[in-house]
Amino acid sequence: MVKFKINGIECTAEEGEFLLSAAKKNGIDIPNLCNHPSVGVYGSCGLCLVEASHTPKLLRACATAVTDGMEIKTETPRVKRARKIALELLMSDHSGDCIGPCSLNCPAGTDCQGYVKKIALGDMHGAVEIIKDKLPLPASIGRVCPHPCERACRRANVEAPISIATLKYFAADRDLSENTYKPTKCAPTGKRVSIIGAGPAGLTAAYFLSLSGHSVTVYDAMPKAGGMLRYGIPAYRLPKNILDAEIALIAELGVEFKLNTKIGRDISFEMVRSAADATVIAVGAWRSMSMRIPGEELDGVRGGIDFLREVSLYNSGEGEKPEIGDNVLICGGGNTAMDACRSAVRLGAENVYVAYRRTRAEMPADPEEIEQAIEEGVKFRFLQNPIEILGEDGKVTGAKLQVMELGEPDASGRRSPVAVEGKFEHLDLDTVIEAIGQTLDFSGDFGVEYNKRGYICADEASFATAAEGVFAIGDATNRGASIAIEAIGEANRAARVIDSYLAGETVPYKKPFVSEQKASDIDFSGYEKKPREQVVFRPADERKKDFCAITDGLTESQAIAEAKRCLECGCHDYSDCRLIREARKEDLDPARLAGEKNRHKKEQRLVCIERDNGKCILCSLCVRTCSENAKRGLLGLVGRGFDTVIKPEFIGTNAIADCKSCRLCVDICPTGALKFID
Amino acid sequence: MKIVVGQGSCGIAAGAGRVYDAVCAEIKNKNSITELGITGCLGLCWLEPIVDLYDGDALVLRLVRVTENDAEAIVRAANGELSAVEDLAISPEDEQFLSKQTRIALRNCGVCDPTSIDAYIERGGYAAAKKALTEMTPDGVIGEIKISGLAGRGGAGFPTWFKWNAAKNAVGENKHLICNADEGDPGAFMDRAVIESDPHNLIEGMLIGAYAIGAEEMIVYVRAEYPLAVVRLKKAIEDARARGFLGKNILGTGFSCDMRIKMGAGAFVCGEETALIESLEGNRGMPRLKPPFPAQKGYKNEPSNINNVETFANVAWIIKNGGEKFAEMGTPDSRGTKVFALTGKIRRGGLVEIPMGKTLRDVIFDIGGGIRDGGEFKAVQMGGPSGGCIPESLLDTVIDYKKLAATGAIMGSGGMVVMDSSTCMVGMAKFFLDFTAKESCGKCVHCRLGTKRMQEILTRICEGHGKEGDVELLSELCESVKDGALCGLGQTAPNPVLSTIRYFRDEYDAHIKDKKCPAHSCTELLTYEIDPELCRGCTLCAKKCPASAISGAVKTKHVIDPEKCIKCGQCRNVCKFSAVKVN
Repeated sequence: MVKFKINGIECTAEEGEFLLSAAKKNGIDIPNLCNHPSVGVYGSCGLCLVEASHTPKLLRACATAVTDGMEIKTETPRVKRARKIALELLMSDHSGDCIGPCSLNCPAGTDCQGYVKKIALGDMHGAVEIIKDKLPLPASIGRVCPHPCERACRRANVEAPISIATLKYFAADRDLSENTYKPTKCAPTGKRVSIIGAGPAGLTAAYFLSLSGHSVTVYDAMPKAGGMLRYGIPAYRLPKNILDAEIALIAELGVEFKLNTKIGRDISFEMVRSAADATVIAVGAWRSMSMRIPGEELDGVRGGIDFLREVSLYNSGEGEKPEIGDNVLICGGGNTAMDACRSAVRLGAENVYVAYRRTRAEMPADPEEIEQAIEEGVKFRFLQNPIEILGEDGKVTGAKLQVMELGEPDASGRRSPVAVEGKFEHLDLDTVIEAIGQTLDFSGDFGVEYNKRGYICADEASFATAAEGVFAIGDATNRGASIAIEAIGEANRAARVIDSYLAGETVPYKKPFVSEQKASDIDFSGYEKKPREQVVFRPADERKKDFCAITDGLTESQAIAEAKRCLECGCHDYSDCRLIREARKEDLDPARLAGEKNRHKKEQRLVCIERDNGKCILCSLCVRTCSENAKRGLLGLVGRGFDTVIKPEFIGTNAIADCKSCRLCVDICPTGALKFID
Repeated sequence: MKIVVGQGSCGIAAGAGRVYDAVCAEIKNKNSITELGITGCLGLCWLEPIVDLYDGDALVLRLVRVTENDAEAIVRAANGELSAVEDLAISPEDEQFLSKQTRIALRNCGVCDPTSIDAYIERGGYAAAKKALTEMTPDGVIGEIKISGLAGRGGAGFPTWFKWNAAKNAVGENKHLICNADEGDPGAFMDRAVIESDPHNLIEGMLIGAYAIGAEEMIVYVRAEYPLAVVRLKKAIEDARARGFLGKNILGTGFSCDMRIKMGAGAFVCGEETALIESLEGNRGMPRLKPPFPAQKGYKNEPSNINNVETFANVAWIIKNGGEKFAEMGTPDSRGTKVFALTGKIRRGGLVEIPMGKTLRDVIFDIGGGIRDGGEFKAVQMGGPSGGCIPESLLDTVIDYKKLAATGAIMGSGGMVVMDSSTCMVGMAKFFLDFTAKESCGKCVHCRLGTKRMQEILTRICEGHGKEGDVELLSELCESVKDGALCGLGQTAPNPVLSTIRYFRDEYDAHIKDKKCPAHSCTELLTYEIDPELCRGCTLCAKKCPASAISGAVKTKHVIDPEKCIKCGQCRNVCKFSAVKVN
């Protein structure tokens, strides 16, 4: 038995024991990647370097036998620098995606690849369980989300992206209809949280905070919960019974809803705040932006979201049918404009126009929405900009539109519209709907700070506002309105932060470091083309007459076939990867060492084992286990320097046939470089 | 008189083989009885081919830069008509190159026929081995080496006696004595010269070492790129065995030890002792972790001792003359002599052996004659890719392991590459990193990827794409690679970068900030222009230009199209009016 010190702590070890294992036995983890108890010491990764008092050189803990009286330091600046550089070097040469681009581009970080895989296996409940880890409203969001995941989907390089959003609501619908997933709640913490706003952000925060054991009360000014999902999205896209069912599941967790309760009107903010240990402002952005043109004060002019709210209330039987007349102009080119024009059609208007000052190509709305609006008879007026609303007796009678042309690209890369001098168009109208954007409805005083544009200032990492214990998320904050999944993402991250705040120490959100691969580094030529499964929409002539759902989504066989198209870009070994685990312990900036990467080729040289050279860190654990444990010795390092790779040595002898597929190499690989192919 | 033609690799490369054949033919032709022999490399490499005329043992005349056309005159001279070769005789100035040296390791080089064991014995060869094996105990030998202060000449400078003693005391039946002749530093050729020119000196030194540690086998690990050295050593081993200096019961002492050659396949890292052992065992040349050190577990996991060629080349002399005599030379930290391979922009390039304690200025200016073609000294790179550069201001640094290390360079194995003002120091660092990045065995992360990234950063600086902060990034990488690399190759790879940053930071800044190469060496950063005032319209440059980038009619001013110019500099070289300017 020998005595030694690590970071000043007295430790003991067996005579001759290596420092790395001796430290571990004493409860101190020294980072390493190339060490494994089942094989001999190798010393290549350079992560286990430590400083010792008896030598000026750094020592490799994996290969240094402990001697009596040894004094070791594992976290000195010099040690940390060498370790950080080793990890940055490794990451600078790493070609692989920890997480697929779908999840990476989902603002809520939903594990798309994970649930798509479950769907491919026919396990819809399993899929919902994965989705609900990040997003409690999959059936609703699946129907309305503009799906940034699909825009990032690499399957597009083969033929078309996976229908991720449609798959999501397929699985969620199935889950709602039978054997619904019910997550387990943590034990009650005794802490109370007030959430102002029952929109996607507020509901998500309520869901996760309630699961963490806090007692949650949600306040909302409207008669029903759901926020913009209910009052901003028309029922033909999101049937409200679906939303009701998902909200009911949140209420079932014990979340209390105080509806028809507007802060500042029905209850003071201070009362709400003082009733809880933490308060979340998630009030959304409920005011339509004005176009600031003459005639906006006329009767018959309304905001896009105001109009959609009226339509919603009318559909649920809580309001009158909006009077819009036969001739309706919608101004704007976003999804709200599409919802408004298609709702106007469904209310029976004869001539529904959409005026947009650029062309169709520049429209921010979903191409599919534009297509369907056209099918439903909406008349698009591209390159026309309303500059005056005309009226008689205080009522709208028409609008003057300035004809535009496209000029030079602006800062956003879109070509900016320029007025064609003296060229105008005229429309006879009964209603003008301004759908050019939305902003915070500034009526409640939350005692927080606001930015220049009128939004609540919330810290990007902690979601904290200027008021102690008051957090803010969603459309009401910082940059203003965005898509629902953005607000949901903020809500689930905020829930974690608030949970830590309630536990006594706020841990701000930090985006985890991941390895990402460039699509240009991947060879897609080997994949068989399989067309994307299409949902069937009701015929335009039929669907434009009512607010019923325009589609039933995918059939089960379609869903499974669609899910099987997934390329599974995210690393199969992500959860067990020793490299990413070590990389996350440091504050890495591999980009500063960016350079050539030459080993991103996948190859299969042994019967059932695929090697992804882009993920191989040349730790030689596979080489050593094949030789020392499998007793086959088929693998070796080939080439020199940067070009070194691990391959079966002396190919041309019987290396391939000699592999008995024992999997020892796959199991010992610290990264996802090796994969067993059944 | 006897004619002796220098037949080292340097001489043969310069045409000494043809000279030998021509002289041989001339002798036959003239039915002369003139004796013809060969010798190895004298170290006067810039004067090759060299022919010596001997009268008995006495050198009569040394002829330099000889060609086969001189054969007839040489034979005449050998027959008494010395005036026939007057103009070939070495100049008194060049002669000083030798006379200012003190030769121990190189004592027989260029003087003795390397293919003849008798010639070696005649010059006192194998007397030291006889003395050691018959009159001294192993401890006595080690003690003598300790007194001499001999340290590892391969570069690390570790005391030789200490390693021998550790190997001697190591527990193990079979012990091995290994000679590291895998000389791989660019610009280093000391070991090659010793093996080619005096192989028996190596064998004798190794034999004494083997006796001291009790080895039963001696292995010379020599790179395959040294074919002549291998041939000569092979013959020497056979001759030595035939005379009873190798094999069983050597000199009747009961001590048995034989020697063999193992050729390396050209990996630089195999000069690292543990990688060398792996290679000897038939494995991929990759370093092992130390400890255990080779003295405990080396070749075949048995006690092994590894020394460099030059180290062994001193041993017989020390045993014969006594350790004290060797220790008299040099400084308290570094005893004896050291051989340097002087190359680069030096006037007289070749092998120099001088006592430690002389200054770099002594070697480069006094012996080497300073910069070639009237150039200006800028720096000297010592220790090859593991070493560093030493600037003009430190030329008076004394040659001593510690003093050299303090400059950021190292003694190294003896490569001394002299650079003048036309050498870009960033480009020089890049050259060495190109080398180490290629030669990294790929095992450890810090070396495999660290050298690659350093090389990439240096390349972008040289190509004009250097970024603010690159020098700091390089420094950080260097420090970490020094700390983190597994073996000497990686640990010392940052040295050329660190030392150029230390002494020539302004050149880095000029590349990065001003996109200029002060040495006018980085082609991407050069622009060529014709001065219209000086151009006479002779069309020579336009004719020479391989890229057809120069236009202009006869007797009119010529112009270079920068888009087409490949910056080869040929126009500038051919212009008789110095009209081509480079910026």
